[in-house]
Amino acid sequence: MRPSQILLFLLLLLTLIDGTLFLHSRRLDKNLKSERALQAITVAGLGLTDLCIATEARYTRHPAVSDSMAPFMDHPGAIEHFPTGSFWNVPEHKSKR
Amino acid sequence: MIPKGLEKQFNILDFSLSSLWRRKLKNLGIMLVFALVIFLLGSFQMLTGALTNSAEAVLKNTPEITIQKMSAGRQEAIPLAYVEKLHSIYGIRAIIPRVWGYYFDESNLANYTVLALDSDLLPNGSELNLTLVFGHFPKRTESGTAVIGRSIQDILELQERRVFSLFRPDLTLKSFNVVGLFSRQTDLLTNDLIVMNLDDARDLFAMPTSMVTDLCAYVANPAEIETIAKKIAVMLPDTRVLTKTQIQKTYQVVFSWRSGFASICLLTALIAFAILAWDKASGLSLEEKREIGILKILGWETGDIMAVRFWESTLVSSLAFILGCTAAYIHVAFFDATLLKPVMVGWSVIHPPFKLLPAITLGDLMLIFTLSVLPYLAATVIPAWRCSTVPPDSVIR
Repeated sequence: MRPSQILLFLLLLLTLIDGTLFLHSRRLDKNLKSERALQAITVAGLGLTDLCIATEARYTRHPAVSDSMAPFMDHPGAIEHFPTGSFWNVPEHKSKR
Repeated sequence: MIPKGLEKQFNILDFSLSSLWRRKLKNLGIMLVFALVIFLLGSFQMLTGALTNSAEAVLKNTPEITIQKMSAGRQEAIPLAYVEKLHSIYGIRAIIPRVWGYYFDESNLANYTVLALDSDLLPNGSELNLTLVFGHFPKRTESGTAVIGRSIQDILELQERRVFSLFRPDLTLKSFNVVGLFSRQTDLLTNDLIVMNLDDARDLFAMPTSMVTDLCAYVANPAEIETIAKKIAVMLPDTRVLTKTQIQKTYQVVFSWRSGFASICLLTALIAFAILAWDKASGLSLEEKREIGILKILGWETGDIMAVRFWESTLVSSLAFILGCTAAYIHVAFFDATLLKPVMVGWSVIHPPFKLLPAITLGDLMLIFTLSVLPYLAATVIPAWRCSTVPPDSVIR
């Protein structure tokens, strides 16, 4: 068997795996869409503003509505305390006020 | 019958594959490191894209205008008397007072989000019970009751128990009866949430009855949100007024490529790989130089030698790209982005599950391809060209 034929088999195998993953993504998308209907009710009914991703600091639990200066507010010159503060960007509107 | 030009390329491809296999340890090593870098870049992009997409899809119904009182650069409680002032602005349909805040559970070192409002006044408020596995939302008159998120149930080890207690600021205990549990489908929003009625939240936080945390305003005509927000900002200059659009834009920014440390770490990994690839690929070994010399003596042209190197580099980098991207999808979709999750949640004790659809766009794939594969091709083909233009007898000697 020529080396290029072995490569062809390898590429076919990878295509098969990626095709299966593509089908999985379609299925997951469909499932998540049904969940989003419930999430939309929760957001509207409770007036929620943020996703529950990081719960350690208020400026990463509620980046949309918390104080943008919070990381440096504990005392003058206080440096960032929580790890997530280094990975999350400050929302644009926070710099206005 | 294969055309002659194509047959030649197949032969060169066979030669390239044999050549790669001869130095399999070196080439497999480069390919694995390459795939790892692409995996990290791809995982980060797929995870942050998925979170951004989820936020965009889910946060469509956030409050239209949120009003917070500011003092000395911090948010503080807002007087209920402001509601009366706001009623004088024409176009405001409803103003909903909210009490919300954080409760730090010292025994579990976890932060809970406590939220209280009269949900019957909000859009979809009557349908809220659909989001619960069991029970109902606390009614205005139902004192000492709460609906909790799934992580709260786990961390307080409630199981079948329905009663739990939280400390007031003066360290006296306040008991709550669990009257509802949020379903798994809303984990992305409610995992750390305790919902109660306004009186209970004021009692828990020792907040005066004349104060609330913030106000949510809903307007009659959505096209007037910005105008009414400006009117509120003028009328109440000591407040911060956030509109629905600003809240929705938040998640377009917080996880961007510029989001601090993560991008620095990933770009450092990419640069480190570029240096490794340059070192491994550009410095042709004596054996490789002799091979090129012998091929030239046997009648191979410079173009043929470059084609061999091109095929070798293309195979290594493209396979690494496919493997890296495939592994990144599997990592985010099947393993909840286990490697990146600690970065996203920091020291949080409550870890909401990330059931997300990895976000893959053609633009992202092209960006990763351009940052990784193209520099590698350049780093390998150019030295081969320089070597193949040298007279063969000087290389062999």
